[in-house]
Amino acid sequence: MSRAHELAIIGVGQTPYRRRHSGSTPELVRQAVGDALADAQISAREVDIVIGGFAPDGLSGENSPDKRFLPAAGAVGRWSFRVNTGGTTGIAAAYAAMDLLEAGRGDVAVVVAVERMAQANSVPAVFNSIFDPIYERDTGLSTISMGALRASRMMARWGYTREHWAAVAERNFAHAARNPLAQIRRPYTAQQVLESRMIAWPVSQLDACPVSEGVCAVVVCRAGRVQGSGQPFATVAGRGSLSDTYNMGDRMHRPIGDLVDAITLSRSARRAFTEAGISSARDAQVVEIHAPFTHGETMTYAPLGFCAAADGPDLVASGYGGWGGSTVLNPSGGAQAANPVGATALIRLAEAARQIMGRAGGHQVADVRVAVSTGQGGANQFSTCTVLAG
Amino acid sequence: MADPSTDMTAPVTVEGHWDFGYTYFAGDAASRFFNELRINHRIMGTHCGSCDRVLVPARGFCDACFVATGEWREVGPEGTLDTFTILTTSFPGLPEPPIVVGYVTLEGASSAVLNAVLGVDLADLDKAGAFLLTQPRVRVEFTGEPQGRITDFAFRLLETR
Repeated sequence: MSRAHELAIIGVGQTPYRRRHSGSTPELVRQAVGDALADAQISAREVDIVIGGFAPDGLSGENSPDKRFLPAAGAVGRWSFRVNTGGTTGIAAAYAAMDLLEAGRGDVAVVVAVERMAQANSVPAVFNSIFDPIYERDTGLSTISMGALRASRMMARWGYTREHWAAVAERNFAHAARNPLAQIRRPYTAQQVLESRMIAWPVSQLDACPVSEGVCAVVVCRAGRVQGSGQPFATVAGRGSLSDTYNMGDRMHRPIGDLVDAITLSRSARRAFTEAGISSARDAQVVEIHAPFTHGETMTYAPLGFCAAADGPDLVASGYGGWGGSTVLNPSGGAQAANPVGATALIRLAEAARQIMGRAGGHQVADVRVAVSTGQGGANQFSTCTVLAG
Repeated sequence: MADPSTDMTAPVTVEGHWDFGYTYFAGDAASRFFNELRINHRIMGTHCGSCDRVLVPARGFCDACFVATGEWREVGPEGTLDTFTILTTSFPGLPEPPIVVGYVTLEGASSAVLNAVLGVDLADLDKAGAFLLTQPRVRVEFTGEPQGRITDFAFRLLETR
């Protein structure tokens, strides 16, 4: 049974995304939630459900942070819990809230997603600790090397080069320059990306996201509450979510699809597109792709229906996704311009909603009727795809 | 700039530190895998009767089929480098760069296992990368007296160009 079109996003609140915030976590959460409620034109009293997303505790150095940040989001007296699925944390929190609304647990939900990773003295060391301590951690695996292992597989299979990915970075940075909330607003060129410090070949510093902090909040409600009110909102037209096996090595030779085929995203997208009645992400005017690395963005092209996987390098070379095109990719600049890990996947949804509502400010794309957002997390094993409509 | 000795809004920070010790239990399957490494110097996988795959390193169950694995099988010692990265930046607590790590599918295995790749000329990274993209053959090499850890072995290139 399809429950599509029952829910609406009516408000978004975001702190700027920066290398470091000097406020406390509860202060930042309260600020973002307050802004989201104001944007939604409702009071805190009308909220039934408060779901929070916060990624690995070790990044913030605060164990079980839910105790302290959920009350700052208005959880007192409400149905509330915290979600963590790594990179997909923010969208997993949103889906939990949407599921509760669809189940009839309330009419209005606040979703808030938080990242305080600059509190850690060594972010890569903390990221190493998220991997399997028995078989993997000693090999030096980090989120960056995990990404680089996929990137070189894409080079071998489909002929991507570092130049293709540098072009993707140039476009994302150009878009980020329009977005005052983005952390990196300098329009780096492809040449500067190629010349940036190599971190884990083939991934260089400007192929990778920065260390970012910030909080994103979204207000979701049952659509009947706002339909016909004249208030701007974005309808949740379709969504899909699927998990995969953990070990990346197990996904290398499977008949159903290779590691870099991202089959969980393909299947999530197909479900979301069917619910929404669109045939591919080409039917959207805006697509916000959750990809902290340039190669990660191109890994979504086939699953989202932009092209066959082997044609991805040509799609990049054609300049697809730039400003003024039929579909603009990452008008906010995407995760490459700011990647507050626990919040990033919710930011993609929030930015898609702002585009539908006509409230994206300097990076508003003209006449957005359909917007798609994705989420990728864990060891690239959790995927989501959401379609919003005006 | 305000004088911090009198400024009531000067931001305050509090230092914190996590340094907890842990003892991770490898479990039945990984314990046997590590003991095979340490005592018999061989790499073992387990067979999933449902998807007919040999999972390496050995697992007690196949999470894709959600069934217990069965027969233990020796794999390797040669295999193919499926994918790799060249780590070029030093991070605290992680192995010193430059090093190559890669996923290798060993003879008789259906899945790939991650470990260091030895014998790569890293004088020119792009050149090294281009060669490794050809998915060269490698051979398991024990890197010292086995301790029963995943780092007991690495992969050495059988060909270098």
